[in-house]
Amino acid sequence: MTTTPAISDMQDQRQSNRWEPAALAKRITSKLSFDEDRFFLILAVFIGIFAGLAVVCFRITMEWTRLLLLGSALTPAPLRAFLAPCLAGLVIAGLIFTLFRNAPGSGLNQTKAALYISDGYISIRTVIGKFVTASLAIGSGHSLGPEDPSLQIGAGLASALGTRLHLSRKKMRLLGPVGAAAGLAAAFNAPISAVLFVIEEIIGHWSAGILGAVVLSAVASVVTMRLFLGAEPLFRIPVVGVIRWEELAAYAVLGILGGVASLVFSKAIGWLRPRIKAAPKTFQFFCPAIAGLLLGLLAFLGFPQVMGAGYGFIDQAMHDQYTWEVLGLLAGMKILATTLSFSSGTPGGMFAPTLFIGAMLGGAVGTVERLVFPHLTGSVATYCLVGMGVLFAGFLRAPITSVFMALEVSGDYSIIIPVLVANTFSYLISRQLQRVPALEVITRQDGLHLPALEEKREQENLSVEDAMQPRPAVILDASLTAAQAWPLVAASNEEYFLLQSAGGRIAVIPREALQSLSDSKDPRPLEETRSLITAPYLHPDEDLEDALRLASNHPVVLVLSRADITRVLGVLTLQDTLDAYRKSPVNGEGA
Amino acid sequence: MSCYDISMNLLRRDFVVREPVLVGILVLITIVFSALTHSYSAAYDRKREALSKEWFERGSQALTNHQADQAVEDFRTALLYAPQRWDYRLRLAEALTATGRTRQARDYYLSLWPSKPTNGPVNLALARLSAEAGEIPEAERYYNGAIFGDWPADAPDHRRDALFELIDFYLKRGDTGQAESQLMILSSNLPEDASLRLRVADLFARVGDDQRASREYRQANQLNPANPAGILGAGQAAYRMGNFHEAEVYLSQAHAVNPSDEKTMKLLDTTRAILELNPSEAGISAAERARRALAIYETVNERLDSCKKSPDPSANALAASLEGPWRIWKPNANQRHLEEHPDQINALVRSAASMESQIPASCGPPSDKDSAILLIGRQTDNNGK
Repeated sequence: MTTTPAISDMQDQRQSNRWEPAALAKRITSKLSFDEDRFFLILAVFIGIFAGLAVVCFRITMEWTRLLLLGSALTPAPLRAFLAPCLAGLVIAGLIFTLFRNAPGSGLNQTKAALYISDGYISIRTVIGKFVTASLAIGSGHSLGPEDPSLQIGAGLASALGTRLHLSRKKMRLLGPVGAAAGLAAAFNAPISAVLFVIEEIIGHWSAGILGAVVLSAVASVVTMRLFLGAEPLFRIPVVGVIRWEELAAYAVLGILGGVASLVFSKAIGWLRPRIKAAPKTFQFFCPAIAGLLLGLLAFLGFPQVMGAGYGFIDQAMHDQYTWEVLGLLAGMKILATTLSFSSGTPGGMFAPTLFIGAMLGGAVGTVERLVFPHLTGSVATYCLVGMGVLFAGFLRAPITSVFMALEVSGDYSIIIPVLVANTFSYLISRQLQRVPALEVITRQDGLHLPALEEKREQENLSVEDAMQPRPAVILDASLTAAQAWPLVAASNEEYFLLQSAGGRIAVIPREALQSLSDSKDPRPLEETRSLITAPYLHPDEDLEDALRLASNHPVVLVLSRADITRVLGVLTLQDTLDAYRKSPVNGEGA
Repeated sequence: MSCYDISMNLLRRDFVVREPVLVGILVLITIVFSALTHSYSAAYDRKREALSKEWFERGSQALTNHQADQAVEDFRTALLYAPQRWDYRLRLAEALTATGRTRQARDYYLSLWPSKPTNGPVNLALARLSAEAGEIPEAERYYNGAIFGDWPADAPDHRRDALFELIDFYLKRGDTGQAESQLMILSSNLPEDASLRLRVADLFARVGDDQRASREYRQANQLNPANPAGILGAGQAAYRMGNFHEAEVYLSQAHAVNPSDEKTMKLLDTTRAILELNPSEAGISAAERARRALAIYETVNERLDSCKKSPDPSANALAASLEGPWRIWKPNANQRHLEEHPDQINALVRSAASMESQIPASCGPPSDKDSAILLIGRQTDNNGK
């Protein structure tokens, strides 16, 4: 091979440039670089670590606040219990009305709103506001939990990172759930439940694209959190023990009671919150303090257990430390206390109170069962655990998470049957008597219209077989001439005819083209003419959305068997696809 | 231009170029954030540890002062700051037991057990609670766990005490077979300790194994000859086994040590009466045998006479009804006849014992000789069988 001198010089020049520092650096960095999707996974790990660290700081701040305001005793002194939530309520209101206007609420709906309204953007001020006000609220004894704020803090950190990195809008939308899962996983020390909860309550659908990142961030955050706070769970689960089938009746009763409790809890918040929101601003300012005062009164009257997240008391209930009367009362008092705290606009989550109510209710049912049927030696801890799942299914309407949470927390698969029995009753009762889930009611009260994920989850996806029409009665042999083929189909009124070659290949010919070739007495076999159209194909189980895309660009889409690609099962046109969509029920219809 | 601006400028460049830089920056941020979090959490950990210790000490103090309710609250608070502290949970369970909240205590012990299933104290506590609840298999399982388990100190002593408790548990249930088999295990592993030997001997006596009881008492007495309980026990065991000479020796010693003990004195008198009256005694002459039989006959006569003089009419009537069958011995109840017919002595003794057993208490308290006749009769029956 010969080259001209000029070209040869240029090549020499390039060779010498390769070793210049700038070129070398560029080559090295390009070798080191990854593609954006892989980088997103790495970013998810960092988000997990940051969220884990933030949640560690959040939990510690909450604990310091508790020590400072309520003292170090398990049950706070009456005076402290009476004054701390009220005074903290005033400070919180001051912060919310001046510095952190986006801080109120649990954090769950705010994260969801950020995802659907502002492409996942959560301001760093909101994150700081949530951190400060929620730790003050929970630390002072307001009946709220740290999980939902942690979820928002995680999502907020992810958003801040994405914003700094100028990620695309699409990636920004994905970052929110990644951070949320990390925050929740670190707060609850349960990565599987956190991932499922985020998928069930925030994303609303399963997507392989995001699942990897969400799982990575959740695991990274839990590992980080455990490095600092240890692997100990929030409450210790005693041995679950053998569950007898006779006990399932008691679990069904627990499910029914849980369903009713969820309903009462939802209705109470749904009733009180809009009334407070409609009140004058001055009254709203004092609401966290008033709620704190009432909460202090509850504590003063003998129910200090309802203060704060209450994990210590869940632990005691699990260890059979209360009578059924006390457990029942605590469940009721916690509903009252949480309704007051949450409706007053005090920042804090619903996750822990829901678990508390469920555990107390479960413990009460378990204790009564033991009194009535002493031969059924079910552990009260199992009832507490199932009770938590029951409230989760009934109040938060997260049935899948509720089951996996019980499994993950207990680490015992024998609990699955009681959980399923109880949760089914609770979920059905709650759904039947309150169509709109509590979280969505709250969202609507805030004037937001976010996707109803519960309905979205249950919505049936249309597939190709829902829209396809039967295959034509005649499929023409592609080796025939037009004159031979036309008499076979002339009587039909179809616009397109299918042709199949000896090799099984299927093509389409429009009616006018076939008629025209027949009239012109074209001697060529049909497969050699230029009038054939290659039709795209799908299989019956494929998503109808794919068919819509294809049918928009092609007159007809073939539906072929997966077992035999030469066998035509049916055909599909754009009109068929649209008709199938029109016939299917639409979200929100009749709502 | 600040470092931050330089970093951001770097990041805003082509995505391909910035990624390695970005990862580096993220790692740096992670290190800084981790360091800050570490110092924050370390400060909190120190506080938690101090609080947990403080509340634990308060609880321990309260428990020592028999303020169990306060101790429960204090231990619970200590656990709030150190939830994984096994020893704190154990103390809480102990405090709960002290307050009488046994169900709650049991629940705590059960939660402790899986992490240390061979722990002696936990097994023993669970065994006691199970025994109290009447859960026999569980109690046996946990007692065995305590017997073969790990103890923080003085393991052999604790294991032995647990075995003593298990034996006591069986005895309370009336399961003497199980108790005896456990006692045999215990006695074969006992150290040279007089009090322990004595305890085992008493337990053997309780299960009715006088042979082993006697052996243990003797060993206890060898180890501590001045122990009155050991001497008395050995005497009682010998008495029950019918070794009246041996019983007399031990009971005499016991009586000498504690002369005010009426029970010992009564036993000694009865023993002496037996030694005096027993016609089956080995190594005595035919004349002595006959003399003793006659003494028995006279004792019964006296008893019947006292019965006839009793103010209780039913006692008089019974004495009258018993006198008939007893009078048949009158023609033969003389020294000569009984010497010539020694085979009738045993029949006379049996008949006398039968009379003594039928004479009611309303006839007056039986004398030592009366009690001795009953025992001699029983022994004669056993020898005949």
